[in-house]
Amino acid sequence: MSANEAQNNGHRASHNGPGSTAVSWGVPGSQPGTLPAVEIRGLSKTFGLKTVLDAVELTLAPGEIHVLLGQNGSGKSTLIKILSGYHHPDPGGIVRIAGRELQFGSPASSRALGCRFVHQDLGLVETSSVLDNLLIGVGFPTVTGTIRRREAARVAREALARVGLATDPATLVGALGSAERTGVAIARAMLSEDGMQPVALILDEPTAALPVNEVERLLANLRATAGTGAAVLYVTHYIDEVTGFADRVSVLRNGVLIATWPVPGLDRGRLIHQLIGSELEQVQRLETPHADTRTRPPVLAAADLQAGPLEGLSLEAWAGEVTGICGLTGSGRESVLGALFGALPRAGQVSVAGKTLKPNRTDLAIEAGLAYLPPDRRTSGGVMDMTATENVTLVNLKPFWRRLLLRKKLEKAEVAAWFEKLDVRPRDGISDPLNTFSGGNQQKLLFAKWLRETPKVLLLDEPTQGVDVGAKAELHRQILATARQGAAVIVSSTDLDELVTLCSRVLVVRNGRILEEITGDDLTTTTLNRSFHLESAAAGNNGNENA
Amino acid sequence: MPKHRLNIGLDRFSGLYLWAAFILIFGLWVPSLFLSMSTVHLVASTQAVSAIIALAVLVPMVCGQYDLSVGANANLTGMVAVVLQVKEHWPLLPTLLVSIAIGLLVGVVNGFVVVRFRVNSFIATLGMGSVLTAFTLLVTNSQDEPVPLSAGWNNMTQYPVFGFQVIIYYLLAIALITWWVVEFTPVGRQMRAAGGNPEAARLSGIRVNRLSWWSLIAAGAISGLGGILYTSLTGPSLTFGPNLLLPGFAAVFLGSTQLQPGRFNVWGTMLAIFVLATGIEGLQLVSGAEWVGDMFNGVALILAVALAASRRGKPTALRRRAIKTKAGQQEADSMASAQDTAQAGTVA
Repeated sequence: MSANEAQNNGHRASHNGPGSTAVSWGVPGSQPGTLPAVEIRGLSKTFGLKTVLDAVELTLAPGEIHVLLGQNGSGKSTLIKILSGYHHPDPGGIVRIAGRELQFGSPASSRALGCRFVHQDLGLVETSSVLDNLLIGVGFPTVTGTIRRREAARVAREALARVGLATDPATLVGALGSAERTGVAIARAMLSEDGMQPVALILDEPTAALPVNEVERLLANLRATAGTGAAVLYVTHYIDEVTGFADRVSVLRNGVLIATWPVPGLDRGRLIHQLIGSELEQVQRLETPHADTRTRPPVLAAADLQAGPLEGLSLEAWAGEVTGICGLTGSGRESVLGALFGALPRAGQVSVAGKTLKPNRTDLAIEAGLAYLPPDRRTSGGVMDMTATENVTLVNLKPFWRRLLLRKKLEKAEVAAWFEKLDVRPRDGISDPLNTFSGGNQQKLLFAKWLRETPKVLLLDEPTQGVDVGAKAELHRQILATARQGAAVIVSSTDLDELVTLCSRVLVVRNGRILEEITGDDLTTTTLNRSFHLESAAAGNNGNENA
Repeated sequence: MPKHRLNIGLDRFSGLYLWAAFILIFGLWVPSLFLSMSTVHLVASTQAVSAIIALAVLVPMVCGQYDLSVGANANLTGMVAVVLQVKEHWPLLPTLLVSIAIGLLVGVVNGFVVVRFRVNSFIATLGMGSVLTAFTLLVTNSQDEPVPLSAGWNNMTQYPVFGFQVIIYYLLAIALITWWVVEFTPVGRQMRAAGGNPEAARLSGIRVNRLSWWSLIAAGAISGLGGILYTSLTGPSLTFGPNLLLPGFAAVFLGSTQLQPGRFNVWGTMLAIFVLATGIEGLQLVSGAEWVGDMFNGVALILAVALAASRRGKPTALRRRAIKTKAGQQEADSMASAQDTAQAGTVA
């Protein structure tokens, strides 16, 4: 079928008129014998001698949520780029969208057939309203060139409702949480110029930038989207949220689609095994006998800390111990580590090994033995345009400063050793800019930056957000090794599994203070979750009293 | 042809090719005028001040700060040096010290406004440039001053050493020092980090504000020196400063596509200054047209930023690796064939 025909068909579908939500030629999913929404047959792609995709076969039913799992470099991006019409596959492969063949290399064909994409970078304009963001692509309803505001708002509200959002279209995107933003991007993707119903929604790493507690909201949006009859292909390297919502899951490894399983009854261990091609070494938290560490004075002591939502928070941390910090969004959890380090303006006392720290002086904090890994690599963690080497050595260049010159050979030798130690790939990339590395490897490099300082106190804010399973395990091993060597480690995370894996005690933050401390055998995701629910119950009671 | 040049332009040595092309073209066109040592000497010394001002632009740029006051600063200090000698009959050395100190003081004030009042450096220095122009008119009563009649004053820049006027060696010295600071000292590395991502730099213990301030002070001192050298070399003028600003920025941005692509760098900037100057000199010899210089510099600035932007879109290291490993061979091939097609199209 030519692109022209495809276009024509697309237009024919438009006779339903704008605003119509009727499925014009798609077929409701659950009926047997209907056309699959997406059908991929024998799809291969080689770059030179390297096979990136090897005879991939995959079928998506309408209304299905299908997770495609793959590590970095497994070929998932290439697959997405073929579906979106960016790459030409090798000859012989076929992709059919609702029965009609995709014209390779033509983004227009991909869109006309009903494929929609949401990328990790959502491409929303933060300073514009949700309504403007939704309609800027497909066009505003107009009368003699003037936007019909009420009609536009109706279209926007409908588009949002279709993906299960009740957001006010007049809200600025900048004011939304990350899950809601992703939802808006999905709603935008599911809109068409001509009211045609999209056949397939393909999401590329949608949760890489989402805190764990926000993922739930996104998943609700996806269920709503699938409810409209579109197939949802959810491409990720994040294994943990899979089991909750997907109908089926496929694993892509080294360009080969290993297998597809229905999600109910799926074994997580086996899935990880398939994903990385070997058993993942289990990370075990330190069994720190409390009495033992507590006989010494704490390395870090903070009293009456005030910063943003923090209202007189106090905490202590001991050498050799991993302390966790958890709390719902808005509890103040996000501000604790930044305030301790001096990244945020603060009031109150912070001392390291008995020495009081000045606020807002990160240089003095580092000198005193503090190290802080911020939650967002891109905006505050690394200098993305500088090389891996320059990022790793940024905090301390003294060892390479000899006879009035920075000795770059010494510098590179030390960084090469860190590449080896933390298994950073590609190994020969020490002089490449940080932004050419994958998220997991960037995070490893930023770990190296602080580990080479052998800090007394290591503050980690969301240390493994947006990192693949393999890198996550490696980072966890490093965190525990650092604590074992005598550092006090504090991990602030929304990932409860992570806290349970790493910490010998977890502090629960609410209303800017520490609410309780959970230790020992009590420390499970269940108890942490319950502490959240207690919180919200308490908050609900307060609300009632006020009313 | 233009497309072809654009492809070469993405290469880190394109400036050298372009330079060679200019010399070849004008050498063949007007050999008697262009291919002479006097042309070489002329380009070298007339561009020395531009190059020094470009270095003044470069230092804060590395740190992520614009200094748009360098031109007006140079004009003020250059005229102060003249006025002190002609009207106040000061001897040379104190004149120089006071004039440079004024340039430096301007940098201190720039830094103060940027760091303490949190005024965007673009705005702060744009305003400062206007203030300095006003000061220049105040100091000189809006009149062009006569040339100071001291041999030392003229010899300071014009004394020939190995055939070149001595000013070119000052430039060389300033360039070497800047190169050393930016590339081979911890401070230079910290400046780059502050310019690349100020928040990440601050969280790495770098005192970003202090560095920005110092970089603006350095820019002030260097442009002050540049202004004095200009009036010593060419004579007093009330308007030379603003004319130095744009070539300086053009060279810094064009330089960031050269030698160390994606980074503001000293030798790329120097290369850009002299490539542009050679082109302008050649065209002026050929055509005698006055407008060539402005046209050339303006186009160069826009083109340089466009090149830098297209580079940011496609990180070079990635492309290099894609071509190095066989995985990217096909993509490299298709790129090459696209290039061929483009060339064929333009030839036809």
